[in-house]
Amino acid sequence: MNEFPDVHTEHDGEHLDEMTCLLYVEGQLDRRRGQEVSAHTQDCPQCRTLLRALERESRLLTRAMLEADEPLPSRLVAFQERARKSMQWIWGAALGLAATGAYALYTGYVEPLEQRFEQAGFGGSNLLGLLIFQGAFWKGWQSMVTILEVMAMLMIAGFGMMFLRRRMRRGSAFAMMVAGICAAATLSSPAMASEIRRGDTVKVEKDETIKGDLFTTGHHVKIEGSVDGDVFLFCQNADIEGHITGDVIAFAQVVRISGQVDGNVRSFTNTTLVSGSVAKNMTSFAESITVDTAGKVGGSMTTFVNTLSIDGKLGRDLLIFSKATNISGTVGGSVQAKGETLSIGSGAEVDGPVKFQGKNPPEVSSRAKLASPVEFSRLEHRPEYAESKFYVWRVIWTAAVILFGLVLFLLMPAFTRDTVDSAERYGVSLALGLLVLFSVPVAAFIACITVVGLLIGISAFALWIMLLFCAQLVVGAIVGQWLMGHTREMWQLIGRMVVGVILVRVAEMIPYMGGWIKLGVLLWGMGAISLAVYRRFNPAVNAVAPVAPSNIPPSLPPNTTIGSPQPA
Amino acid sequence: MSSPGIAEPTEAIARARAGDAQAWGELYHDYAPAIFRFCRRALPTREDAEDATMEIFMKLRGKLSQYDPTRPFSSWLYKVAANHCWDTLRRRKSRQDKETEDTDSIPLEHPDPSQLDRLIEQRSGVEVRKALGTLGKRARMALVMRYYSDMSYDEIADELGVRRAFVGVVLLRARHELRQALEGNAALAAGGNL
Repeated sequence: MNEFPDVHTEHDGEHLDEMTCLLYVEGQLDRRRGQEVSAHTQDCPQCRTLLRALERESRLLTRAMLEADEPLPSRLVAFQERARKSMQWIWGAALGLAATGAYALYTGYVEPLEQRFEQAGFGGSNLLGLLIFQGAFWKGWQSMVTILEVMAMLMIAGFGMMFLRRRMRRGSAFAMMVAGICAAATLSSPAMASEIRRGDTVKVEKDETIKGDLFTTGHHVKIEGSVDGDVFLFCQNADIEGHITGDVIAFAQVVRISGQVDGNVRSFTNTTLVSGSVAKNMTSFAESITVDTAGKVGGSMTTFVNTLSIDGKLGRDLLIFSKATNISGTVGGSVQAKGETLSIGSGAEVDGPVKFQGKNPPEVSSRAKLASPVEFSRLEHRPEYAESKFYVWRVIWTAAVILFGLVLFLLMPAFTRDTVDSAERYGVSLALGLLVLFSVPVAAFIACITVVGLLIGISAFALWIMLLFCAQLVVGAIVGQWLMGHTREMWQLIGRMVVGVILVRVAEMIPYMGGWIKLGVLLWGMGAISLAVYRRFNPAVNAVAPVAPSNIPPSLPPNTTIGSPQPA
Repeated sequence: MSSPGIAEPTEAIARARAGDAQAWGELYHDYAPAIFRFCRRALPTREDAEDATMEIFMKLRGKLSQYDPTRPFSSWLYKVAANHCWDTLRRRKSRQDKETEDTDSIPLEHPDPSQLDRLIEQRSGVEVRKALGTLGKRARMALVMRYYSDMSYDEIADELGVRRAFVGVVLLRARHELRQALEGNAALAAGGNL
C-alpha cells in the first residue's frame, strides 16, 4: 500500500518525516512500513513525541468539530412539518392582528382624514393613493391601491421571499425580487411618450405642442405653448403661460401660472402665484400662495403654507394649514382653516360653512358674503400625553411594532442575528446611523430631482422609512438581551425583543428626554441594520467561527474512532 | 464513522422511502443537528450552513431511494453533505484559495515535536474552530471530512477530486495551515492583551 508520494517535509534523515508519522497515526501505512515506524519510535523519543502530538492533534480536531457549540437554528427547526404546523397559528395570528390593526388604523386615523380630504375635493381617491400614487406619478394604480391591498401585497411578498429563501440561493432570490419590482414598476407605467428637456432655460414655444408628458429641469422653465399630458417641473422659476391638458407637478422656487391647466396642480414651492386657470384641484406646500383677482381654481384647494391669499375664484372647498390666511375672493364650497390668523375681506364670498381653528379670532369684514357665520375655536396646545387617547394609541402601535418585528425576525432569522450582533458595536452603529439618517433622504431627493432616478429615489426613501421603523426592533432586542441575557435561539430572541421594545417605547414617553431617547434609538438601530447589510455584502468580515459557550463537554463521544494506528 | 450517536434508523428509513412524512420528520430530527454542525464547520458563515442543511435534506428526500441499506446511514448522509458543501465552496473562488494553490508546491517545514505537542496541549476547541474558519476551502473541507465525519481516504479523494495518494498531503498541509492560524490567533490574543 506504499502508494503515497514522496513527502515534502524537511527532516534530517535520522528521524521519521511528518508525513510518514501522520499516515501511521491515520492507519494508512502497510504492515511492513507500519512495523518499521513502530520499531523506530521505540528507540527514538523525538519521533515518539511527534507521533503523540499528531495523535493529540487529531483528537483535538475531532473534539473541536463535534462540540455542540450552538443549537439548531430556529429556521432549521421550523423546516419540518411539525414546526410548519406550529407556524400556521403564527401566520394566522399575524394576519388576524394585521387586519385588526389595519382596521383600527383606518377607522381611527385614515377615514376621518380621508373624509376631510374628500370634502376638500379629492373625491374618488384614498389617502394613500392621494399622497403617493395619485396623478401622473403612477397612472393606473389609483384604482387598485388601497391600504388593505398594500398590506396584502406585502404579505404576498413576504411569503414569496420565504418560498424563494428555501429554494434558491440568496443572491438569486434577491435578484429575482429586484427584477420583479422593476418589472412591476415598468409595467405599471402607461405606454405613453414622455419628453425630457434640460438646460439653463427651457422653453416651450407658443406655436409648439408636445404630445405626452413633459419632464423639465433647468434654471428657468417657460411654457408658452401646449402640452398634451402632464408637466413635471424641477427648476428655480417656472412660468406657465400656455395650455396644459394634464397635471402640473412642480418642485420649484417660484411657480407662476398665468395660462390654463386642465388637470391638477401639485406643488412644492417657495411661492406659487395663480393668475390663470386651474380646472381641477390644487395641493401646495409653500411659503406663499396667491390666487390673484384674475386667477381661478375650478376644484378644491389644500395648502400647507405660511401665507395664503385668495383674491380670485375657487370652485369648491378650501382646506388650509397656514400661519396667515386672507380671503378676498370667492370660495364655492366650505372653508376649513387652521393657523394663527384668518382675515376675510369685504369682497369675499363663501358659499359653504367657514370653520377656523386658530390662536386669534378671525377678522371678518361686515361686507363679506358668508353662507353662515365663522365657527371659531381657539387652538390650545395641550401636551398629548395628558390625553388618554395617546396611551391607547401608544399601546396599539407598540403591539403593531411587536407584530411587525415577529414576522420580520421569523422571515430573516440570520439577518436578524447579524443585525443584533452589529448593534453591539455601539460606536460604529451610532456613527453609521447618523450618516444614514441624514444622507439617505438627501440622496433620495437628489435622485428624484434628476428625473431618471425617480424610481431609485422613491425606493431609497421607502427603504429609509422602513429602516426608521425597524430601528426600534433592533434596539429592543439589544435592550432585552441586556436584561435577560444573550441568546442565539430565535424565539428567545423574539421574547427579548418584545420586552425591549416595550421598555424602549416607555422610555420614549419620558418628558423632555423622550425625544433624545427616540433619536438615539433611531441612530443606533439604523446604524446596526446598515452595518449588517454592509457586512452581508462583505463576507470576509463574517467568515469567523462563532464563539462557543463555556459549557463544552470535555470528552469525545463514545463512537469516535479517530487517530488509532493500524499497524497492519 | 462518527454519527449522531443513534442506532441505525432502518425502520424510519423504510417508512420514509414509502412516503411517510412523519418518518422523514424523525430522520430530520435525529440527523439535522449533526449535518448542520458539519456544514457549520465546512462553510464560512452560519447562514451558508443553514441554507446548506436545508438543501441537503431536500436533496436527501429525493435521493432516499438510492440509499443502500447495507451501508451505515450516517456515512451516506455525510457523503451527500460533503458533496453539497464542496460544490458550494467550489463555486466561490476566493483570494485565499488562490494563495493556497500558489503555495501547494512549497515544502513543509518539519515541526519541532515538543513545540507541536505544547501547541496542541494549549489550544481549546473554540480556538480550533476559530482557526478552522480562516483556512482555505480545500484544507477546511479535508479536515472536516476526515475528523468530523471520519470519512476514509478513498471517500475524501473522491469528493475533492484528487488521487488517493494525495489525500495525506492535503491533510498534512491543512494541519500546517491550521497550526499557523492557531499561532497567529495566539499572537493576536497576546497583542490584544497588552
